[in-house]
Amino acid sequence: MTARVALGVALLISVGSFAPLAMNVAVSAESATLSPLDQLLATENAGVKAQATPIINDLAFLRRITVDMIGRIPTAAEIDEYMAWSSAERRLQVIDKLLADGRFADRWTVFYSDLLRLRTGAEGGQAFLAYVHKAVEASVPYDEMVRQLLIANGKANYTPEVGFILGDGADPMAMAGVTSQTFMGIRIACAQCHDHPFDVWTREDFYGLAAYFGKTRRYENDFTNTIYTTEADATTVLWPPEGVGKDSDRKPMVPKFPFQLAEGTEDPEYIVRLKELRAAQEERKLAAKSAKQNKVDDLLAEADKALEKATKAVAVDATGVLAENQSEVEKLKLAQGRYRNSELRTDLAKLVTSPRNRYFAKNLVNRVWSELLGRGFVDPVDDFSQNNKPSHPKTLDYLADEFVAGGYDLKNLIRIIVTSQTYQREHLVNVDDPTRTTVETAFLATSPRRMISEALYDSIVVGGRLFDVKHEQGKNLTTAWRHQQVVKDKKSEEIATANLAAAVQTTKPDMKEKPAAAVPTSGAYSVEDAFELDFNAVLAKKDDEPEVEQMKMMSKEEIEAQAMSKQIGRPGVEYIDKYVKVIFDDNPRFTTALRMETPAPPTHFLRVFGQSTREALGEFRDHSPTMRQALLIMNGRLIHEASRVGELEPAYPLLVGKKKDYAKAVVLAYRDLLTREATEQEIKEGIQLIEAGETPLAGYADFRWVLLNCNEFRFIP
Amino acid sequence: MSCLDYKMTRRSMLGATGATLLGWQIRDLLANEGKSHAQTAEHVILFWNGGGMTHIDTWDPKPGRPTAGEFKPIKTSVPGMEISQIFPELAKQMHHCSLIRSIAGTNGDHGRATYQLQTSYQASSNLLHPGLGSVVAHERQQIGDLPAYISISGQAPRAGYMGQKCEAYFVAEPGEQDPYLAFPSGIAEVRGNKRLEVLGRFNQRFTDTQRNAKLDATQTAINDAVRLMRSPALEAFDLNKVPTTTLNKYGDTPFGRGCILAKRLVETGVRFVQVNRGGFDTHTANFPAMEGHGQVMDPALASLVSDLAESGMLKKTLIIMLSEFGRTPKINDDAGRDHWASVFSCFMAGGGIKGGQVIGSSDEDGFQPKDRPVQVPDIHATVCHALGINPNKEVMTPLQRPMKLVDKGALVKELFV
Repeated sequence: MTARVALGVALLISVGSFAPLAMNVAVSAESATLSPLDQLLATENAGVKAQATPIINDLAFLRRITVDMIGRIPTAAEIDEYMAWSSAERRLQVIDKLLADGRFADRWTVFYSDLLRLRTGAEGGQAFLAYVHKAVEASVPYDEMVRQLLIANGKANYTPEVGFILGDGADPMAMAGVTSQTFMGIRIACAQCHDHPFDVWTREDFYGLAAYFGKTRRYENDFTNTIYTTEADATTVLWPPEGVGKDSDRKPMVPKFPFQLAEGTEDPEYIVRLKELRAAQEERKLAAKSAKQNKVDDLLAEADKALEKATKAVAVDATGVLAENQSEVEKLKLAQGRYRNSELRTDLAKLVTSPRNRYFAKNLVNRVWSELLGRGFVDPVDDFSQNNKPSHPKTLDYLADEFVAGGYDLKNLIRIIVTSQTYQREHLVNVDDPTRTTVETAFLATSPRRMISEALYDSIVVGGRLFDVKHEQGKNLTTAWRHQQVVKDKKSEEIATANLAAAVQTTKPDMKEKPAAAVPTSGAYSVEDAFELDFNAVLAKKDDEPEVEQMKMMSKEEIEAQAMSKQIGRPGVEYIDKYVKVIFDDNPRFTTALRMETPAPPTHFLRVFGQSTREALGEFRDHSPTMRQALLIMNGRLIHEASRVGELEPAYPLLVGKKKDYAKAVVLAYRDLLTREATEQEIKEGIQLIEAGETPLAGYADFRWVLLNCNEFRFIP
Repeated sequence: MSCLDYKMTRRSMLGATGATLLGWQIRDLLANEGKSHAQTAEHVILFWNGGGMTHIDTWDPKPGRPTAGEFKPIKTSVPGMEISQIFPELAKQMHHCSLIRSIAGTNGDHGRATYQLQTSYQASSNLLHPGLGSVVAHERQQIGDLPAYISISGQAPRAGYMGQKCEAYFVAEPGEQDPYLAFPSGIAEVRGNKRLEVLGRFNQRFTDTQRNAKLDATQTAINDAVRLMRSPALEAFDLNKVPTTTLNKYGDTPFGRGCILAKRLVETGVRFVQVNRGGFDTHTANFPAMEGHGQVMDPALASLVSDLAESGMLKKTLIIMLSEFGRTPKINDDAGRDHWASVFSCFMAGGGIKGGQVIGSSDEDGFQPKDRPVQVPDIHATVCHALGINPNKEVMTPLQRPMKLVDKGALVKELFV
């Protein structure tokens, strides 16, 4: 175990010139050498009169990279493993380990969910989430994933990709704005109603883009309670727009991609590399099948052909059908279990994901950069425009080239970023805000980032050792009162009583006598629970027997009726209040917040800590502190349980019994919660806090509560 | 009521209210000096009836018409104004209340209609607009320790581009204690305070080494939270000491308790209280359902209006009841009514509006507005006006797009005559 290296103090030089970065190599960890990315960035920073901050120490790096890659802080065991590796190798080694970790897909599904405005509550949303997770897990190339999202038609929750367009009701106008802003970082949506006020986009551009979605239709089948999309022959996008000129003059809009693709007959170097890579991948695949070798040049064409096939295969059966109620055709289509893919959107997908569409790669690179560095080269990240040019255009170009050449592989891109010195710098401390902004915008220092809410949640769970049971069985028997309303009817009363193993009290207890641990009737603490979604089960739904699902779901009216009868009761039936005494072993375990339905309900921990509704475009996570956050985290059950000491924890024997050692317990807490060694002073202070408690266990809980609540915990070092 | 009369009313109110509130009221009065128009209200209680409440069976009866349904109209305390028989107690309070019977909605879909009724804007995927409560919280200063915007029994609209500070504080069920306003069970007051003190020290030390405004803000939020936890004003949430007679008067239902809580909250200074209630989507068996709703709503609303009127609070508290749309005049085969947005009604009381009025009307069967159509944003403009907020004020979104607080709404002037 190495002692913590004292933090280098960053100096700021405001006069004179110097070669940026050169000074820091000496203090940096050996593994972080100057990468091509760092060198390029340094060239672009030539005019900035500020020095880069030093490289963070090994443990701070471990905390930063672990939170960023797998969405939680490292465990004490992981610290030991990491520090046991040779100091020259440990950073690269841990990066590789984390990229291969199962939680990597969980954490970066959250990234894509933010990007794609994924809402499991929207039509087809659950399967869409499961699909994205599976794609990240399987390292599906980003361009491939986007193509699937853009061309899919099908039934909500059965064709998972269709959740993307259903998220906006498959509405052509909405989809034009979404496609542009999500995949290219260009805000063209303003041009729906007027030519863009500060940019080059016109209404005609907008309508041309919308026209790709003009034939897409969203249908709702009330009988089977299903929602699906398919293609009609006529477009709904007409030009000129409504209200401009006579209605009779409005003609179908011709689809036109408004964004410039890179020109030139020769392939740029990154495209040559992409083709080579894909050819090699294909070759390996074919070799594995011991099939005939394919020619390199045919490969891209092959992919196009496959798309075309999918598009035309079922085109015949739906020709000429526009009316929504042509049930015969619907039945036929459902029976075939297939939907017409969109030819127009296939064209659009090709253009959007073309390696010559520079916006496509730059947008994603910029988003990932912002996720890891706290701000984009282009910031806000969804505003690539003449008036908002990138801070480091060459570095952005370089990363975009590498992303494309690397086969649009997310992990490859992330590896390039996190192995750079730029990612591994310290924050700039003790300077005024304008100076800090200058240095952080030049990426000569990293900005302090608060963990995203999911990572904060999981970090509290892992730090408090709550993924596992930490108390012995029966040590936490708790009595609570549960409020119930039951029908006043002898028979059912008996049934209600019989169902409960615990003692039942039928009279309402006096309020004063009500135990403090009363279970709130509306499940108030549930805002701190995480419920894992079973992605595999969601994806297992098959669309071959459409009639089976018929009437399985409750209609809106049924739900309303149920809600109503709950509140106003049924006529002629009397209800009585019952307070039921429940005894249970309060030995909580928590699960990860990364695999929940998303976004969480409005009052949930995840939302309070900044997860957005993802309803509107350009709605980002809000990381500003609020009173609600403070209440939730100070008084909530999660941190309370994380602080409480269990008999099965390693800290327990350090606090109770013959082998107790408070200093060791303090050191353990610092490692468990803050991923660092405690200073002499901090050890002394921690011991005092343990001793100040009513018992050492209570004192230690107080001490951990403070560590879990403090800024150092929630901000990434 | 002229502006002069209004000022006098406020001054006399100042004399009548408790000493603890005096301080802020004067400050508030001073702050309002520069306003474009005189405000007539300090607080709003918004009743949100989710699902689309039938207009014909509530505020706009159509006696003798094929669309009338099963309910008869009854006389109210206002000569010539009749409402549905399901509101016998409220009928006696209608001299305090006014109705708009000519709201011309545009959306027949729950989601989109709810969005517009709550924000005044049409839903778009480009921007999330703030709900009315967030607008008020954004524009009017918080009074005392309690949050400016509180939502009871369900979900309030989001604050959108106004950010987390303007989000509603939620009360899941009226009378239920918010577990987050006290230290976790088993943590005594002394121990909790000790924790806070040590936490303050740790955070200060960290901030000292970093010197970053981002970090200071966390401690400010903690201090706000602690102030709220320790505030005597929290007593307003506790309904345990409400006399049984009062509970019974309001009807001992979650809605009745919601009304009692709303009243206590505005009395404590809360700017905007939203009370949510569902079950109005009556596609089947509309009449028994509405009869049930009447039994729950009537005693509560009537008691709320009369109690606030008696204490003088009604003058500065605007009560408004909204739903996303009305329901079809035609009764369907399931004895239900379906979605109907072309015309519907809303109920208002207090907050400087003149009671006993009916604004606009629908045609004889309740299909379309007959005269004085009121657009949805007009309602928002009217609420803003009452609170002294300029509905046309522009607020910058985080993306630097100027947005009006209300989407082209015009004041319903007659309400204030």
